Amino acid sequence: MSGRALPAPLRAFRRPLGAVAGGWLAAVILAALFAPLLTPYDYDIQALKEAYQPASARHWLGTDEFGRDLLTRLIYGARTSLSVSGIAIALSVACGMTLGAAAAWFGGWFDRAVTVVVDLTWSFPEILIALILVAIIGPGTTGTMVAISVAYLAQFTRLTRAQILTLKSETFIEAARSLGAGNAHILFRHLLPNALAPVLVSAMLATGDAIILEATLGFFGLGAQPPVPSWGGMMSAGSALVFKAPWIIIFPGLAVAVTVVAINLFGDALIAELDIRARMRRQV
Amino acid sequence: MTLSFRKTLLSASVSLAALLAAQGALAQEAVFVLNTSEVGAPTYNPIKATNLNKATTLLFDRLVSQAADLSYHPWLAESWEEAPDGMSWTFHLKKGVTFHNGEPFTAETIAKWLDLFKGSENAYMAEAIAEVQVVDEATVKFVMARPEPNMLYNLSSSYMSVIEPKSFVELGDNYGVTEVYGTGPFKLESFAVGQETVLVRNDDYTWGSPLAKNTGPAKIEKLTFREIAEDSTAFLELKTGGVDMLFGVPADLLAEVQKEANLAVLTLPGQDVYYMPINVTKAPFDDIRVREAAAKAINQEEILASVFGGVGTVADTFLISALPESKVSDGAKIKYDPARANALLDEAGWVMGADGVRAKDGQPLQVSLWTQSDSIFRRLTEVVQAQLKAVGIAAEITTFDSSMIRDQYKTGEQQLAVRSYNWDNADIVDWFFGGDRLGYPNVSMFNDPKAEELRAAAMTGAKNMEERVANFTAYHDYVLTQFPMAPIYQPVNSVAYNKDRLVMPEPLNAADVGAIAIMDMEVKD
Repeated sequence: MSGRALPAPLRAFRRPLGAVAGGWLAAVILAALFAPLLTPYDYDIQALKEAYQPASARHWLGTDEFGRDLLTRLIYGARTSLSVSGIAIALSVACGMTLGAAAAWFGGWFDRAVTVVVDLTWSFPEILIALILVAIIGPGTTGTMVAISVAYLAQFTRLTRAQILTLKSETFIEAARSLGAGNAHILFRHLLPNALAPVLVSAMLATGDAIILEATLGFFGLGAQPPVPSWGGMMSAGSALVFKAPWIIIFPGLAVAVTVVAINLFGDALIAELDIRARMRRQV
Repeated sequence: MTLSFRKTLLSASVSLAALLAAQGALAQEAVFVLNTSEVGAPTYNPIKATNLNKATTLLFDRLVSQAADLSYHPWLAESWEEAPDGMSWTFHLKKGVTFHNGEPFTAETIAKWLDLFKGSENAYMAEAIAEVQVVDEATVKFVMARPEPNMLYNLSSSYMSVIEPKSFVELGDNYGVTEVYGTGPFKLESFAVGQETVLVRNDDYTWGSPLAKNTGPAKIEKLTFREIAEDSTAFLELKTGGVDMLFGVPADLLAEVQKEANLAVLTLPGQDVYYMPINVTKAPFDDIRVREAAAKAINQEEILASVFGGVGTVADTFLISALPESKVSDGAKIKYDPARANALLDEAGWVMGADGVRAKDGQPLQVSLWTQSDSIFRRLTEVVQAQLKAVGIAAEITTFDSSMIRDQYKTGEQQLAVRSYNWDNADIVDWFFGGDRLGYPNVSMFNDPKAEELRAAAMTGAKNMEERVANFTAYHDYVLTQFPMAPIYQPVNSVAYNKDRLVMPEPLNAADVGAIAIMDMEVKD
């Protein structure tokens, strides 16, 4: 990192698009965190007599097919969508970095084995891997998390491996080694910290994709199980009611779209601030 | 690809499409969408299949046809006699009938065909027949092992569609998938499982059921049956003219169909029952009090009003109310009774906790609730979940893909589930609660000695129809009192069609829109 005053994520806010996108993301995350404080309704209590109401002063975004407040469901849905995709990507980054670093560091047959397996998973679309895994593990949030993290594992493993391979031959590593530094010291103190920034930015962008993947699994009914709301699950329920109550599908759809665009814009701003696009392009 | 080449391609394909459309209007062609419950039927093999779709009724004929009032009429059999003691049946067959592959239909065909049922999925349909005697080319006699009052029903069922035995044996598992030969008014042109089936008219057909006005070749020349898993997608296709008829429109889309000036809805008695199987072998449901409580926590009226828009009726037995065997004693009917449900759970030692979930010995009353991924099941299941919660049962929903859930049931791990069946005979009680079919179809894992006794009497002990009805009513009654399931809802069968395109025969002398209706149906020019 450089000696500039602010950390990169905050500097990204200085760019206009980054500020708008970051603002939206911050708002969504805060809403998800403080969901019970923001809304007087429960996400799961049905009021069948109040079903299919359009937007009103009482229900700002209307009610769903069970008379539940749609805004409440949307806020709690943000909890599911963000936590599932966030945790899944964190898991994926942790495993991917370990695997990638180990492959690059040890080389030889281990490197070849990891590369072959990782490339193999990379040759399948993420949705296919995720669907297969959910079919094996069973539907629900845990299954979705594991499925998403495995689906994105290849990307982080490759990225870390490429970073470490280039860094390995840099002069400062040779210097550290000649000063008597051990394997662990070099790997954890010199190599991984230097590989971290591009991986984190790539993880940020992948989180956007993961939200879409989570919504897709939810749309198939394989994500969070009812009554726990998820954006994908809400869209799926709404798709059958698109003529009767279009708002049930429109609002969660908008939430997914806007959030994913915001993550991408913020990621772009971050890349610009970190000036790592050139590095990433060279090494992936 | 250059831009101009693309343009050429585009205009070529547009004109081709226009040409095809124009042809479609001239030639009698129609596109139908199968009911979502029939989506994914893997074969047109009536002997081996456990799920057959509507197109089956056009590929094959049956010996007997059934009218709207459920009476039986000739079809491939011109007439029949039952011996007074029920121990033999004689059928006089139509002459001059041929299969799509040119093979003749004779008494010999019947003997070979019935022989194929042995050891198959649907063996029970023919198991009362001990021996088939070929009297002459057009007369066949069934010597019975026992009286079978259900004989004519079985013979009118699409599972007893008459297949061509020679090709059936030659083709093996490919029969019904790659090729299929029947005597029906249509021949199979192509079949893609889960997608579509294309049928072309059998121009030689002259032996239709007398229930239709037209017994000669069908008026429509080419029929496409599309499989669309999501009802709202199917409705959009109908609305925009992509298809001409939907065999099943769910209650919540009826209002949308009625808004369209060019669409009409035909309402027929339904044959479906929605219900909640309860696995009697899994704690806490091994306790009959907990089963009864769960069953009586289901508010059928509320579900009818909120999920199904008031269309159809509630179910309080396992059978559709058109069947005489559904007339069980009042005490056996399963109706919403929250006070009773709460009292039973108290009695069984499940104490209501502060969080609204009951508990016993520190264990919360938490159970699994399985459902399939179709939107109507998911919606219904969420209401069921809330209703169970109201008496202190926390049910966790697990959604399975509709095509995979049967295999899941076979594991026997389910506790509660929400599902439906489509059948119009009391023997469905045997199918879903028979002790030798645990897992699937017996999702409830119900195997009760007294029920098995009553079941045997119902299935094989009756000499005539009155006895059969009485025995089945007793069996059904007893099963209900053991609470292996909670009945929920009986829909009506709503068929929607484009009235600018199709002329629907009126009145319709059949229980549903199938072979008889389609024989008289016409496409408008």
